[in-house]
Order: sequence, then structure tokens, then C-alpha cells
Amino acid sequence: MGKVIVITSGKGGVGKTTSTANLGTALAMIGKTVVIIDADVGLRNLDVVMGLESRVVFTSMDVIEKRCDLDKALVKDRRVEDLMLLAASQRNRKDDIKPEQMFDICERLREEYDFILVDSPAGIEQGFHNAAAGAEEAIIITTPDVSAIRDADRIIGLLQNQNIDPISLILNRLSPTLVKKGNMISKNDVLDILNIDLLGVVPEDEGVIASTNRGVPLVHNEQSPGAEAYMRIARRMTGQRVPIPEMREDNFFSNILNWFSRK
Amino acid sequence: MDFKSLFTRKSKSSNIATQRLKLILTQDRFDVSEDSMKQLQFELTEVLAKYFEFTMTSVSMSLKREGNSYVLMADFPYHDSAK
Repeated sequence: MGKVIVITSGKGGVGKTTSTANLGTALAMIGKTVVIIDADVGLRNLDVVMGLESRVVFTSMDVIEKRCDLDKALVKDRRVEDLMLLAASQRNRKDDIKPEQMFDICERLREEYDFILVDSPAGIEQGFHNAAAGAEEAIIITTPDVSAIRDADRIIGLLQNQNIDPISLILNRLSPTLVKKGNMISKNDVLDILNIDLLGVVPEDEGVIASTNRGVPLVHNEQSPGAEAYMRIARRMTGQRVPIPEMREDNFFSNILNWFSRK
Repeated sequence: MDFKSLFTRKSKSSNIATQRLKLILTQDRFDVSEDSMKQLQFELTEVLAKYFEFTMTSVSMSLKREGNSYVLMADFPYHDSAK
């Protein structure tokens, strides 16, 4: 039986979809069978970030309304084996799906796949509840700023009420340089405030923009710091003990190295 | 580090953010207004003052998450006014 994990944040724009795409890809690269589900009905994006938008024929709504089988609605990834996408309907609204229907889809998928990652919409309304309906575990994505952390705290409270456990944290877009200057909340302060387990830290990585432009998740570019962070997180998700390294500051030499390794 | 920041260490924006967050989250988690919080702090201090001959200074309260529940933390720093 596979695991169903909801990836959520409360606040929008902190990296839920990017993280879902990269963790799904990374898990498949290390040999797991994975389905990533876009639960953002009406504003789907996971297909675009994965570069699979032209292959989407059916959506979760078609499965729910019995227009096609679940297997047929899964879109195979172009680059990695055993990675599937279940897209959200773009024509419907978030409350057109009921939590029980989402639960049912997740239950059926976990019989065949190791990991089912559900990309939640922003907010705490129906769409969020649908995304969490089939999940037993949650990954909270936050960035080190006041609004994102406040929203993450609210979401953690809601998930705990639904007995989702464990709930772990990915701290996204951390800049060691800004932390050192005293202009960004540090990893330790975020953990002290939210008091949940840290699954990983993803450094600010401008490669994300190019990767989204191309529709190729960052983890395909092994040299990027963001890609390395996502690979480590994926290995932790499979139960491996992979330490969280202390972040290095940008310096002259690392900038030169980055410049040469740019694609 | 620039020259100016040598003299403004205490007001680093990350420290301000952390302090603001702690206050915001305590209010969010309590679901009470800032006025009620202040009233609660005031009344708790009054009760303690009945039993101890201490002068309370800068009382602070927060809610800390412990697993699936919250723990109310109240700090009552005091100095011994009898001395």
C-alpha cells in the first residue's frame, strides 16, 4: 500500500506546485512508482510545470463523473518511468468535487503506487479540504516570511484536527546570505515558531524560473542547489537517513562556478 | 557588513519579523483580541501579586505547539522588591 501525502501551504506562491513536481520526479528517479495529483480545480498548473499540458486528455472530474477509467486519465511523464499525473479540470470549480470523491481516487491509487502526492490549492476553503481528504500525511511548504509562516501555522492546526500525521515542513527559498545579513528569518526561528518536524530546506534557486519556462522540473538538472535539496528530501521520504546540510553563503567562487555550470 | 548596521544590530528586520510573528500567532491560536490578552496578563499579574511580594515586570505570554495541542507559556520576570 502506498502513501498519500498532501502538499499544502495556506498562502499561494510559496512553491507548492514546484515542490510537488520536483518531489514526484525525484521519487520516480530513485525507483518509486508515483502519481502526482493536481487538486487545484479551475486553476490547474501542475501539468504546465511538468511540461505535460499537451498530453492531458482526461481529468479527475472525468473519472468522478465516470466518463473514463482512472488508469486512462493518468498522463505518463515524458522523461521518467513510473511517474503519472492526474490533472484537474480547468472548466469546473473547486466545490464541484466532494472530499469523498477525492478520498476514493486516492484509495484506489495507493493500491498500485508507492507515493501519491496531492498538490493542494492555496487557501483554507473547499479546495484545500478536498486535497487533504485522502491524505494520511502532509508536507507544509513555507517561505521564511511573516505572511507565509502565519498561514502555515493555520494550516497545521487544521490538518492536526483531521488527524493527519506526520505533518512535516519544507522551508523553501531560503537565502543564507540574507539570513546572515539579518534580513531573513532563519531556519531555526521558523522551526521554533511552528514547532513541527523539518523535512528539508530548499535554497533560493533562480534555476526554478528557467525550469518552469521549459516545463522540465529542476531535479533533471543535477547541478542546481535546488535540485540537490529536492533529491535529498525525496530520499528522506523513502526512509533514508540523509542529513540536512547547513546552507553555504553565496560567494565569489560559488558564483563563478554557477556561471560555468549554467545551461 | 556595512557601517550603519554596526549600530543597528537590535533592529535587524529578521528579529522584528520573528517578534511580530510570535505575537500574531499567539493571537491567532488564542483567537482573542489584543485587548483581551492584555487584560488576561494584567489579571494574572494581580493574582500573583496577592501571594508574592515581587514586582512583576514585562509579563509575556505565548502559545506553543506541542504535538497536537498547545501549551500556554507565561513568563513573569520579577525582582525582589523587599530587598
